[in-house]
Amino acid sequence: MTFRSRILAGFGGVVLVPLVLFGLRVRVVMANRLTAEYERRVAAQADVIRADIARDGAVIARRLEALSEAIPADDRFRSAVLAGGDRPYVLDYAGTAMRSAGLAMLVIQDSVGRVVSSGHFRNAYDRPEPALPRALAAAEGGLALVEARTPEAPLLAIARVDSLRIAGRRYTVVGGLAIDSARLVALTPDPELGVTVALPTDTLTAGGADTAAAAVREVSLPFIQEGDSLGATRQARILVRHSLASLAALRHDVDVTFLEAVLAASAIALVLAGWLSLRISRPLSALARQTAAIDWDRLDVAFESERPDEIGRLTRLLGSMIERLRAGARRLREAERRLAMGDLARQVNHDVKNGLTPIRNVVRHLAQVAAGEPERLATVFRERERTLDSSIAYLEGLAGTYARLYPASVAGVCDTAEVIRESVWRLDRRGAELRTELVEPLPRSATDPLVLRRILENLVGNALDALDGGPGTITVAAAPGPSTNGRATVRITVSDTGKGMTRAELDRAFEGFYSTKPGGTGLGLAIVRRLVLDANGALRVETEPGAGSRFIVELPGVTG
Amino acid sequence: MTPFQRHTLLVALVAVACRGTGPGRAGAPPPGALPAPALPAAGAAPTDTVCRVAGGPVQKRDTVTIALAEPVDPAHAPLARNDAERFVFAQLYETLLRVDCAGRVLPGLAASWIGTADRWTFTLREDARFWDGAPVTARDVVAAWRLRDSAFAQSVAIEGDRVLSLRPPTVPVQPLADPALAVTKRAPGGGWPIGTGGHWVSETTGGIVWAVPLRPGAGPALRVVTALGGRLRDAVDAAVDLVLTDDPAVLAYAATRPGYLDLPLGWSTSYALLAPGRGERTVAVGAEGLRDAVHLDARPADGSDGGSVWVRELGPCEPPGDRELVASPGARPRVVYDQADRNAADLAARIVALGALGTRAVAAGLAPGAFAGAVRVGADAAYVFPIRRRVFDVCRATLELPPWSADGSVAPLLDVRSHAVARRGFPALELDWGGTPRVLVR
Repeated sequence: MTFRSRILAGFGGVVLVPLVLFGLRVRVVMANRLTAEYERRVAAQADVIRADIARDGAVIARRLEALSEAIPADDRFRSAVLAGGDRPYVLDYAGTAMRSAGLAMLVIQDSVGRVVSSGHFRNAYDRPEPALPRALAAAEGGLALVEARTPEAPLLAIARVDSLRIAGRRYTVVGGLAIDSARLVALTPDPELGVTVALPTDTLTAGGADTAAAAVREVSLPFIQEGDSLGATRQARILVRHSLASLAALRHDVDVTFLEAVLAASAIALVLAGWLSLRISRPLSALARQTAAIDWDRLDVAFESERPDEIGRLTRLLGSMIERLRAGARRLREAERRLAMGDLARQVNHDVKNGLTPIRNVVRHLAQVAAGEPERLATVFRERERTLDSSIAYLEGLAGTYARLYPASVAGVCDTAEVIRESVWRLDRRGAELRTELVEPLPRSATDPLVLRRILENLVGNALDALDGGPGTITVAAAPGPSTNGRATVRITVSDTGKGMTRAELDRAFEGFYSTKPGGTGLGLAIVRRLVLDANGALRVETEPGAGSRFIVELPGVTG
Repeated sequence: MTPFQRHTLLVALVAVACRGTGPGRAGAPPPGALPAPALPAAGAAPTDTVCRVAGGPVQKRDTVTIALAEPVDPAHAPLARNDAERFVFAQLYETLLRVDCAGRVLPGLAASWIGTADRWTFTLREDARFWDGAPVTARDVVAAWRLRDSAFAQSVAIEGDRVLSLRPPTVPVQPLADPALAVTKRAPGGGWPIGTGGHWVSETTGGIVWAVPLRPGAGPALRVVTALGGRLRDAVDAAVDLVLTDDPAVLAYAATRPGYLDLPLGWSTSYALLAPGRGERTVAVGAEGLRDAVHLDARPADGSDGGSVWVRELGPCEPPGDRELVASPGARPRVVYDQADRNAADLAARIVALGALGTRAVAAGLAPGAFAGAVRVGADAAYVFPIRRRVFDVCRATLELPPWSADGSVAPLLDVRSHAVARRGFPALELDWGGTPRVLVR
């Protein structure tokens, strides 16, 4: 996880977690308080409904009592029911009386329960309905919910029964007030309260309460279904519910507000965290990029900052470190340059010595002959003239090489055996036995002859040094090497019986300017290795302390 | 032949006509069909009062005011759609013949006629004229018929300016007196069609129709007002000369007003219970007790004097429409009625109370348009349906029944009638075969 991500996550956690906890807590507290309020309102509404029902019962009782007095006093009705005739008046009587009395249901029945006149169902006349008044009279408080029949649909009414007598005949009067949706709505002026009349046969709902109401109270009433011949009384329940709509709306509002707060806080936190992380990570990233660019050859990277904080201090520390590195590098390059010039001088000295030594020996020999045998001087001179020419040619070639400062390898071909013999012949043996073992015919080497001579002179010189001036044998051998990709090779081996090398000495044997000899330049083997590699050859060493060393050079050969 | 004998003969002819070939009645009788009825001989107008309703000696008046309980729409003329329109149109338009309540054939536009086995020939009244003064010719008669019943018109031959003949139909002569075949012609600019009756419409404003006699002194002008709802009692208080109503409350109120007579008219309408179902469901409703269910002058439909019998014998008359429209009755039996018809609502309620369709049945009142659609589909258990008790042309009347009526059950329940509340001295009313009153102006 990046530093920036951690900063962002940290900010988010710090801002969002408290906000979420706050929102949840607000929801719980709000729900608890509102639910308690709902229960209180539902209980109050249930009390109101009970009071309304009781009041309705009293109203119905008063109106039925008045009708029970008015009906026997209506002479036209009396004569119609007693003597027959004027049937329309009787049939319409209950309808007229029902409307006048403000009732929704009115049934006048004779002593056997036959409908004499029905207000809510005018054409139900003569229908036997004896169970209804009996059941109403038996109901608790004489009040019940009645599902009355009408032509179109059942009528639900809260009803009671009264009786009257006409000429000794008993009649019952059943009257009631409708309990329909409008009535239920009137019972519940609060739109969040809903009243449901749960009947054994059906359900009537009004008001704004939904089915997922929070609080429910119920008021029970006897229930009678008109037309039920048994007149069974069951229980109807008036359920008062409180809608959860307002709670849901409040929760929704809280959720929306909470979500808005979370979004706003998140946006602010993101902006702040982004700005902060950018302010911190951007200079660190820049430092990382600058640091990654530092190399031995690239110490010009500038670490500068005016910041007073830790990043500024770190930048300045890196700047001072780079400054120290640059100073050290300068000193090191100077030392190298100086060292390289000294090495070059020693190399030149070494090479010139190698060229001058045969000349000195010839001159010394000629001096000895001139002193002792002057007549042979010309003969000896002729014998040694070749050596002089060779040495002079060597020096001239050396001069040309140094003139080019660093001669590029010159592609050439030489007679391997000839160059080996000539080189060995010209070498100063310094008392050591120098042997050559050549396996004829040798392939020609794809190497400039001067390069091969320098390789041999350096290796033999190094072997002579390993003998420390004591007796010993140096063997220069040459043989065809193994073919490489179908090309012939020449293997040249220079071995000595000297002191050999330790492992540490061997590891550093080819380093420049490393030498175990007093006054040694340490360049001989380094030059050999570079010349062999430039000639696309290979060089390896087999050595053992006290048992001598063996340098194996493999050079590409030329077939034919 | 006594009037009673003529009456009996015509009833028999109606019954025979219903076994005819229906819409193709004007063509040649199909093989096996009964022979064409004889054309009664032309005679003078009856002098008896069998079909007259009068409230005593007539007092001469220039204008009489008539209050009706239903609206009158000139666009319907001459095909009436309610009793008020039937009354008004009967004053304005004439048919070739007239048939009175006793079934007697009387001259109309035709003053005389001769009937043979092959041809009936009619001679138009010499003084017959349209309201615009143009004489009525045989060509005018055929043109008017062609507009209403082109098949029937094809059987007519024009023999002269005032003489036309037709092949004897297989049905009796009543169709020639059907108001649907009244002779009219289109009025320029629309409005009331031009008729040939003794009165013509001079003005129609504010729901008042003025029908004045064509000839001065040929009777009083008729001022027809429409008094909807409870306003008929106001009309009585306003001393109108005639109120046609079936509302017992209005009748009871008029009975308390001096100078008015309650004159029952003919039993013109029957309420029937129509039940679809190809005979699978037959609704049996006892006629007893039904009379008290409605608020008007009613009696059990007993089919006396041939009334309402025609709906039971529709065999020769093919009902219109696609019989496949008949749907299965719903799960909850409904007795459906037109909610604008209080009597139908009362009868439906009584049928529910009697449990004729089971204890779960309910009555359902539909708006007139919805009721017409429901009746046509026939998806309910039963329909309380008003029908004309007597019709001039059974097969034409059949078109007013639902398409499934021939396969369902049709049970007449009640006959009902209107009353005329007339001021003393009002001209007598003459009832035609269908029970429609016409003011006798002479």
